[in-house]
Amino acid sequence: MAEVSAIKGAAQPAKQRTRKKRSLASRLLVAGTILFLTLFVILPVANVFTEALSKGVGAYVETFYVEKPAQNANLSFRERHRIVAKAARAERTWSAIRLSCFVAACVVPLNMIFGLAAAWAIAKFRFRGRVFLLTLIDLPFSISPVIAGMMFVLLFGRTGIFGDWATNLTWPDPTSIAWQGFEGHWWPFAFTRSESGIMFTPLAIILATIFVTFPFVARSVIPLMEAQGSEEEIAALSLGAGGWRTFRTVTLANIKWALLYGAILCTARTFGEFGAVSVVSGHIDSNDTMPLRIEKLWDAYDMQAAFSVATLLSGLAVLTLIVKSVVEWKTGHTRAPEPRELELKSDEHRSAGDQQVLRLLPGTQGREP
Amino acid sequence: MRGINKSYGSSQALRDVNLKVSTGELIALLGPSGSGKTTLLRIIAGIESPDPGGRIFFDGTDVSATDLGKRRIGFVFQHYALFKHMSVFENIAFGLRSKPRQERPSNAAIKAKVEELLALVQLQNFAPRYPSQLSGGQRQRVALARALAVEPRVLLLDEPFGALDATVRRELRRWLRKLHDRIHVTSIFVTHDQEEALEVADRVAVMNAGRIEQFAPPEEVYERPANPFVYGFLGNFNLFHGRRDGAPRSETPSTPATFVRPHDIEILRDNADGSGIAAKVTHIGFLGSAVNVELIKLDDHQQVDAALTTQAYRDLALKVDQEVFIKLRNPHSFYEDYAI
Repeated sequence: MAEVSAIKGAAQPAKQRTRKKRSLASRLLVAGTILFLTLFVILPVANVFTEALSKGVGAYVETFYVEKPAQNANLSFRERHRIVAKAARAERTWSAIRLSCFVAACVVPLNMIFGLAAAWAIAKFRFRGRVFLLTLIDLPFSISPVIAGMMFVLLFGRTGIFGDWATNLTWPDPTSIAWQGFEGHWWPFAFTRSESGIMFTPLAIILATIFVTFPFVARSVIPLMEAQGSEEEIAALSLGAGGWRTFRTVTLANIKWALLYGAILCTARTFGEFGAVSVVSGHIDSNDTMPLRIEKLWDAYDMQAAFSVATLLSGLAVLTLIVKSVVEWKTGHTRAPEPRELELKSDEHRSAGDQQVLRLLPGTQGREP
Repeated sequence: MRGINKSYGSSQALRDVNLKVSTGELIALLGPSGSGKTTLLRIIAGIESPDPGGRIFFDGTDVSATDLGKRRIGFVFQHYALFKHMSVFENIAFGLRSKPRQERPSNAAIKAKVEELLALVQLQNFAPRYPSQLSGGQRQRVALARALAVEPRVLLLDEPFGALDATVRRELRRWLRKLHDRIHVTSIFVTHDQEEALEVADRVAVMNAGRIEQFAPPEEVYERPANPFVYGFLGNFNLFHGRRDGAPRSETPSTPATFVRPHDIEILRDNADGSGIAAKVTHIGFLGSAVNVELIKLDDHQQVDAALTTQAYRDLALKVDQEVFIKLRNPHSFYEDYAI
């Protein structure tokens, strides 16, 4: 008893000392982190908003919307010219926003499908070249987006490998879809414009963005799929469920939050992608996405307008963060114990059980009589 | 089941396994890890396929080429594999809801069936719960109910109690035995726990290195093991090489190896009839219900382990370093050339 209390007495101050030390160290670390975040994240983001509003709310709104002057307004030529220029600027900005949304609407669903397929292959099957495929999925992370864009130029550009085929390719411009009515057609929609070639068209932007954002979905789904194994799928199949039902009710239901998480990251990156898109857009105004539009405004010394468009991207980033943390919270609360944990547990119990079974085995317990 | 072979690359997991299970039987596949018992179970289930030539029959029909989902088997996993995002009710109803439209029972029928199964596994009030809110034993019972919902022809259980703690495990296996006596579904379960296999199963198939070493009722496997492996796997033993005193003498020229269980070693204070072997007590381990005595034979200094009842131990009043005589009850002799 005396021995026990002596040990306790010796251990306690040491424990307190380490706790005190740790708390000082952790306080320093926390302070450093906050300082760093303030300098490199909070200040710049705040700056985006102050710059955007530096000429007042009116100027901010004018970046996106210019009110038409009244028909009978008495305006000088200079004033009219200024309004027309502003309206053109707002229209180009809107076109960039529309294109960005359109690209995201194409890229995110496609990458969800590709990412899911790749994750499925990697997590549920063992095959030759599996590790290589896993590395390949990560490739877009390690390649500079500009290089990615240039790869597409080398593939589909006029002198590229598929240059002849790509430049002669004609495809309807999906943004030009319009109502044409049922008269004489079985399908009431039609495309009013078509585009040719791949390089320097929205198609090239979509391709480049798919490449750059490919890893997000796969990467967020693979670890979960691997941890869950395929026992539940086998269980569903053994109960007579078909492949599609198994996928829908078991696989997809188990990974839906991870999938959504990947889709959110993918969306954020799609809107923010600059390098690859910059190369394949050919700097044509109609091919501008929001980051490209910001750069052009910036290059034209129109700081306030550039920052105004940037507020949209920043707002999107904040929204992404919020949705992301909600999803993280959700996934954190719905995750079941990982099989490995159970395995450990079962080994413990197994040895306990064995001890009972093998209690006649001498030497397993060093108990003295 | 006939001539099942399964190879993974160069290693052969199953060698020529033949097994015939009668309807309504409860069979245990017992063996150390890596003996191929889980592989065999997965082949029966159709999760894995045997090498060409292997055939599996259910009620005389060849199901070797039948899909997992069409074999009408119930499979219970060691780690339950319940659908985490579905309630207990939905888990059990899954198999019924997965049936093709014309065979699918009505919602009311499904509800009745699930309730019947919940009563069977004694979880009536747990229908709206989620698997994460259940204990391990409860989860495994839900898994069992889920497997039984589709009225399987064969119920396959892969180490069903492996992930549970010792008390729950013992409780649950007794319950499984009772359940089987009630519903009589042909069942095969895999285990590495000899006690579990002997207690629960009608017949035990002891497997080793991809082969079935013996397939017999528990008493026979224990009392008349086919070979040293089976003997050794079913409990502790003392091994006496050669023709030792007390071991049955053999007419064959090869040297027999004699196996004796610790509780079949009798300790005597005096050598009245002259057949005892002189030994010295080196260690005594008191376990409560039994006493382990370690001895060393005086002639060749080989260690012998004996297990006495507490009563016998008291009567003998043994002490460490005491010299005694041992006698072997119920020895099993196997010949070296027959050994593994």
